[in-house]
Order: sequence, then C-alpha cells, then structure tokens
Amino acid sequence: MRPRKGNLSFLVLIAAIAMLPVLTSNSYVISIMCFVAIYGTLALGMGVLLEHAGIFSLAHPTWFGLGAYFAGIVAIRGIAPAWAGILIGAVCVGLIAYLIGAPLLRLKGYYLTCASFAVLLIFEITFAQFSSITGGHEGLMGIPRLTIGTIVFRKDIHYYYLSWGLCLACFCFLYNLMNSRIGRAIESLHDSEVASSCMGINVARFRLLTFILTAVMASLAGSVFCFYIRFTMPTIYGFALLLEVLTMIVIGGGKKLYGPLVGAFIMIWLRELLHGLMRRILPVMTSEVDAIFFGIAVIVILIFAPHGLSGSLAAFVNKYRRSA
Amino acid sequence: MSLWSEIVQYTISGITSGSIFAIIGICWSFVYLIAKVMNFATGEFVMLGGMITWSLSLKGFGLLQSAVIAILSTTVIAAIVERTVIRPIKHGTELTYIIATIACASVIKGIALLMWGSETRLVKPFFKSEPFQVLGATLNPQVLCVIGYLVIVTGSLALLLNYTLFGKGLRTCALNQINAELIGVDTKKMRLFCFMLAGGLASATGIVTAPITFTGYEVGLLTGLKGLIAAIVGNWTMIGTVSVAMGLGLVEAFSAGFISSGLKDLFTLLIVIIFLVLRTLTFLPGRRWIK
Amino acid sequence: MTSVNCNGQEPLLAIENVGKNFGGINAIMSLNFCLQVGGTVSLIGPNGAGKTTLINVVTGVYAPDRGTVHFFGEQISGKPAHIVASKGIGRTFQLGEFFDSLTVLGNAMVGCHTQGRSGLIPCGLRLRSAKREEENVRETALENLRLVGLEKRAIESISQLPLGERKLVGIARALGMKPRLLLLDEPAGGLAHHEVEKLVYVIRTLVNRGITILLVEHNMPFVMAVSERIIVLDRGLKIAEGPPTEIRCNPDVVRAYLGEEY
Repeated sequence: MRPRKGNLSFLVLIAAIAMLPVLTSNSYVISIMCFVAIYGTLALGMGVLLEHAGIFSLAHPTWFGLGAYFAGIVAIRGIAPAWAGILIGAVCVGLIAYLIGAPLLRLKGYYLTCASFAVLLIFEITFAQFSSITGGHEGLMGIPRLTIGTIVFRKDIHYYYLSWGLCLACFCFLYNLMNSRIGRAIESLHDSEVASSCMGINVARFRLLTFILTAVMASLAGSVFCFYIRFTMPTIYGFALLLEVLTMIVIGGGKKLYGPLVGAFIMIWLRELLHGLMRRILPVMTSEVDAIFFGIAVIVILIFAPHGLSGSLAAFVNKYRRSA
Repeated sequence: MSLWSEIVQYTISGITSGSIFAIIGICWSFVYLIAKVMNFATGEFVMLGGMITWSLSLKGFGLLQSAVIAILSTTVIAAIVERTVIRPIKHGTELTYIIATIACASVIKGIALLMWGSETRLVKPFFKSEPFQVLGATLNPQVLCVIGYLVIVTGSLALLLNYTLFGKGLRTCALNQINAELIGVDTKKMRLFCFMLAGGLASATGIVTAPITFTGYEVGLLTGLKGLIAAIVGNWTMIGTVSVAMGLGLVEAFSAGFISSGLKDLFTLLIVIIFLVLRTLTFLPGRRWIK
Repeated sequence: MTSVNCNGQEPLLAIENVGKNFGGINAIMSLNFCLQVGGTVSLIGPNGAGKTTLINVVTGVYAPDRGTVHFFGEQISGKPAHIVASKGIGRTFQLGEFFDSLTVLGNAMVGCHTQGRSGLIPCGLRLRSAKREEENVRETALENLRLVGLEKRAIESISQLPLGERKLVGIARALGMKPRLLLLDEPAGGLAHHEVEKLVYVIRTLVNRGITILLVEHNMPFVMAVSERIIVLDRGLKIAEGPPTEIRCNPDVVRAYLGEEY
C-alpha cells in the first residue's frame, strides 16, 4: 500500500534527477552524481541484506568487483559486445553467488560474518594474484566504451542516465518486492526464523534468494562502474569498499529502503567537500584518510541517530503528522 | 635446505604466527564474551603497539621504555574507545557495535598513516644474541619471547578468571549481564577493564612480534582477522582459540613455504571457510571456558 | 498407516511412540495418542514434561528421535517445518516469536504465505496477478484479525500492543494458513483475566469453524473451560487421558503436579 504522499514525492524526485543535467552542464556535478547512483545501488542491496533480511554477509562488495571484472574482461578481450559483458557478468555472478551462498548461508550469526569476510578477502587476493586474466595489482586499463548497438556511451551524461536508470529500477523492484508476499517473507527471516518456517516459509531458500538477487544488482552496478571509469583495480573492491558501503548504510539508515541511497548521496558529496577543504592542509587524501572522517561521522550517527538520517527523518515526519 | 629442515622451519614460523593469532584471538573473545562487543579495533591495537614503540625508540627512548609507554598509551586509547564510543550507544545491537568498532579501527588506522607514513618499519629485537640452529632450521630468539609471552598470558588469565573474586565477576558478566548487575557486579567497569586488557595485550603482542615481522599502518587488518577467526572457530574458549590459532599459523606457514607466499592468505582463508561449512554438517558441542 | 488405537476412524493426528532427546536429556520418552477431527484437546503437565517439545516435533521444528507422527494418514515427522505448515498445521509460540519489524497486519499477512503463489518477478514488477493476490491476502488477514477482534489495530507496530493482544495476533497469524489443526503453546500465559475470557471466546469460535485445536497450558480454569479432552504428560510420558472431570480427580495427575504428600 503506497501512501499517496509518498508517491508524489517519489515522482518529484525522479523528475529532479532527470532534469539535473538540463539545469546544470557542470560535468563535475554530473560525474559525482553518477558515482552516487552506482554506489547507491550497491548500498541499497546491502541494506536490504543486512537490515531487512538479517543476513550478516560482508561479501557484498565482491559481487560489485566481479561484475566490474567480468564486464571489463569481456570488453577488452572482445569476447562479446560491451553490453553483453554486463549481462554475462550478471549471470556469472548470480551463479557464483548461488554456489557460494548455498553452503555459506547455512552458517549462523558470526560464523557467516566471518566466512563472508573471508570470501571478500579471498576475491581481493584472487583479483590481485591471477594477473594473466585480471591484470594483477595494476588491474585492467583501457576498457573500451560501452556500446549498445550503434549507441556509444561517450559522455558523462550518458552514464548519468544509465546509472540512475539502473539505480531507480533496482529501487522500484526492491520496493515492490518488499511490499509483497516475498518481501514479508524476507523481513520475517530477520526477526524469527523459527516462526518464519512454521508459517510455511522455506528459510534457506529465501535467504539464498535475497543473497543472489542483491548480488546480481551489485554486479550490474559494478559493470556500469567499470565502463564509466574505464579501468579496474583489485584494491577498489576490498575492505575499503566494504567500509564505504557500511558507512552509507549507517549514515543513511537501514530501516527505510531509500536510507542507503541518502547515505550514498551524503557520503560522496561530503567526501568531495572534504577533499576540497583539506587539499591545502593535507597533501594526500587517500581512502584511509577519508576513513578517519567517515569513521567519526559513523560513530556520531550511531550515538545520536541510530536509525540513520532516514530514520530520523521518518521519526520527525511522524511527529509532525501526529501534532498536525 | 633439506625437506626436513624446511618442515622444521615452517613449523617454527607457524608456531610463532600461531601464538600471535592466539593472543589476539583471546583479546577478541575476552571483549566479546564479557562486554558483548565484537571489537574490530583489536587489530589496530596490535599495530599501535609496534608503531608507537618504533617511533619512540627512534626519538631516543630505550627499547624497554618505549615498549612500556606504548602499552600504556594503547591501553588508554582502548579505554577512550570504550568511553566515547561504546558507552554512549544506547540500545546497541551487535551489528551496531561491530560497525562502531570498525569505524574506530578506520579512524586509528588513518591517523597512524598520517603520523607515521605508509612504509613498513623495523623494531630492534629484544636480545642481541644471534639466531641459532635447531634441527637444521634457524631459530630467532625473538620467537622464544613470543611463545613465552603466550604462556604467561594464558596462565595469568586462567588464574585471574578462576581464582580471584574479580575474575568471578567477569565470568558472571559473560553469563548474564542483567543478573550480574542485580547481584552488584559493575558491568560497565568490567567492560572497561576488558577493553583496556585487550588494548594492553594486543599492543604487547604487536611489540613482541615487531622485530620478526615488519610493522606498518596496515598490519592491523589481516592479523586482527586471523585472531578473530581463531576465536570464532575455537568457539570462544581459551583452549579452542589457542589450538585453532596454532592450526592457522601452521597452515599459513606451510602454504607460504610450499605453495606460494602470495597465495598463503588465500589458502588459509579457504581452509577456514571449508572448515566452518563442514562444521554445520556435523554437530560439534561447544564448551565455554566460563561455566 | 498407524497402529495406535484411534477408535477406528482415520485420525487427524496420530502420535506413535514418539521420543526426543537433547544431549543426555530425555524430553519425550515415548508418547502415543490420537486426535480426532473437531474439538479442543489440552496437553497439560508440570514444567519439563515435554509439552513444547511435542509441539515442536509435530510442527517439524525438530525431527523425533523415535516414532512417527501422521497427519490424516500422511507421515509428517522428519519433514522440515515449512512443509508441515503447508499441509495445514498452524501454531503459536510460547514466547510469541513475533515479527517486530512488521505491523500487526503484516504479521497476519505473513501467515497467509502458503496461500499465495506469486514469485520473485511478479512481485518485483507488481504484475496484475501479484496485485490481485495481494488484495486477497490482505482481505483474509483482516478477516482473521476481525475474528480475534484486532482489526482496528492493523496498521500499528506489533511491539506497541500489550501481551494479550499480541498473542491474539499470533493466533490470527496462524489462521492465515487455513489450518485444519491449530497448536497453541501456552496461549493464556501472562494474560489478565479479561484477556483469558476473550481467548476462550476466540477458541470456541475457531472450533465452531471446524478447526481442531491442541493446546498446551498451565492455567487450569482456562483448560477446564475449553477442553473436551485432556492429556497429561509428566517427564516425557503420558500419564493420563480423558475428559476434564476425570482428570481432575486422577491421583496420578495430582501426584505429578503437587508431589507425593498430597
């Protein structure tokens, strides 16, 4: 049941996103917003996994990396047209997620966190070590532009619409899903698996389903990412990315579906702001140094706004509605 | 080197790493069992031990003084983490604390990078003696320090927990926090103690191992993770953690030696995952060290 | 096919020589009884008698170590819980096990999961079939909530309700499966007097609709008020079975509950 007010604000948002490149031709802004959409899709999936399904898997960034590598390798080697690389990546990642997920999701609680973290690191090492396929530590360079038929994605604005199209499509799909029979089944997993299975829900199957679905979404985001920045490196897809995604989920809030998107928006713009301010003080702004500020931001949010900013927004709106 | 001496060499380095993982695993399980927090900053405490000692010894302090100051400062830092981060979080779920400690770890790591740069550093060994030969393999006397340290730590902790009143207080916190508070145990003080203990032990570990393995701002992550794996797979018991840690250390040493040092982490992690998954197929009863 | 004597007719539920251990503890030693269609049967006994374990065995949460459970002649013991649920066995939980992240209506709708068919794609794309099914499920869930008198609180978060009302939501949730057998685990536990009265009314309504009820309880007046038959367990064994009037006077029962001196 969608509240009518929510529908309207959603449409306004879509309109705003669509109109942005018309209102500003600043390619820097457009480029940053591409990243917001791509990371947002990634965070969206992980938010569902962590906060809605209760699956503490830290392996999520791996699917992003695999999507990027599959698409990149397919495009560079000319195995198939570039757009097919995205689909191949999605299918392969779905398969790998199934193979890894089936045994892994049987683990409970911390064992799953530990094992999934190990998966994350294993893939990071694999990307770095098997240089003949993946380009090793330096990664793959010079990935060709994305082409679909005769359309060549050349400018930032093309990727803007592509990445936001993907992000909004994933969001709508997940929104519909979470408000349906399947979504309720997934949410029930979070609270009580025993009760869930006594209601006729095949717990193992739904855990795996959520896992694979979010993995495929992450893979699609990763493929778009790799065509956008036209190179990939193993260090992008490891622990650092995990931290960034967790930061987005915490800052934005995980309870609401759109929370991680808000978090992605805030975090990426904040990072740009930070870089701009600190350029004079600190010579090098690597991701580790960024992490100092984001670590502090996460701690502050956890103490003062534990449900993230979207949670605080929702609570504020509720209070406003009740008093009005 | 003959095969036999290779094996001995790898066993020695395996036991060395295993001891390191064991103590870090004990730090993890202490804080987890008693304070109910999965402290991802444990690895960073290890790094701080080594790095502070290095930077102080560079400034002219003696090795022993640097070490003591390093341990004390890390303990203080751990206390600060508990007070400013863990305590203010209301209604924290386990995931919340995990994310909070990961955030702390990132902050500490970033500051370390800013203060000390990104190169790996070497700390001087404790004793001036030369490495000597054992069964055809080289034994660095620092290794004996590491093993001795492990023995002292496990022994003292066992004594603390089983034979002192304070130790009993710790154990009640582990069993049931609400009931512990009802009988007058100050769980908040216990939690603070655990954090400080973890900080002290972890930093001491970092110091003791720094002469053998290099130390740098990056050391925290993988070492901390291996300690965590040892604790989890060892079911949070002291015996379990130490045995799993030794196993991990040996697997790592042998994969590095016989297969490839680049892939050693890969194999170790793979084996951990396989082990964890196989465990779900048969039911192994777990015993807690705190009954 | 069962060999337990069930008065000839095909029983709804046949428990045959069921036993369950946990480590060294014998939760259920050997249990034999049948349930016929219709009416309410209560399972009583001191703590540790194995009552909740039996419910868990029947619903498939545990597989029995010994013996079998048959539902309308079909073996269900050893099958996973979600399969057992889809056959028409619903249950509530002693400790509630509610879905706190869902509303009251949401909880009731989860119960209707087995009645739906929509898969991933229809739900994600909000196809017409999925929308129609969603409407039906909503109606059914509201109907179930109406039965327990809670439809006015449908959109509230379940954690805001008092315990008695939450337990009624648990029953509404279980009704979503269109169960033929309903297992209630201590439904009256922690309830105030007026809440128990409401519960009695709800149970009688359900029985009138043809649902067989097996309930586990400690609250004796409540048990006496709703049951046609009572089965008494003690330390994993059935020690008595019969109508309430008989059980009240049975010396074994008194001894089990109150001890030898009485």
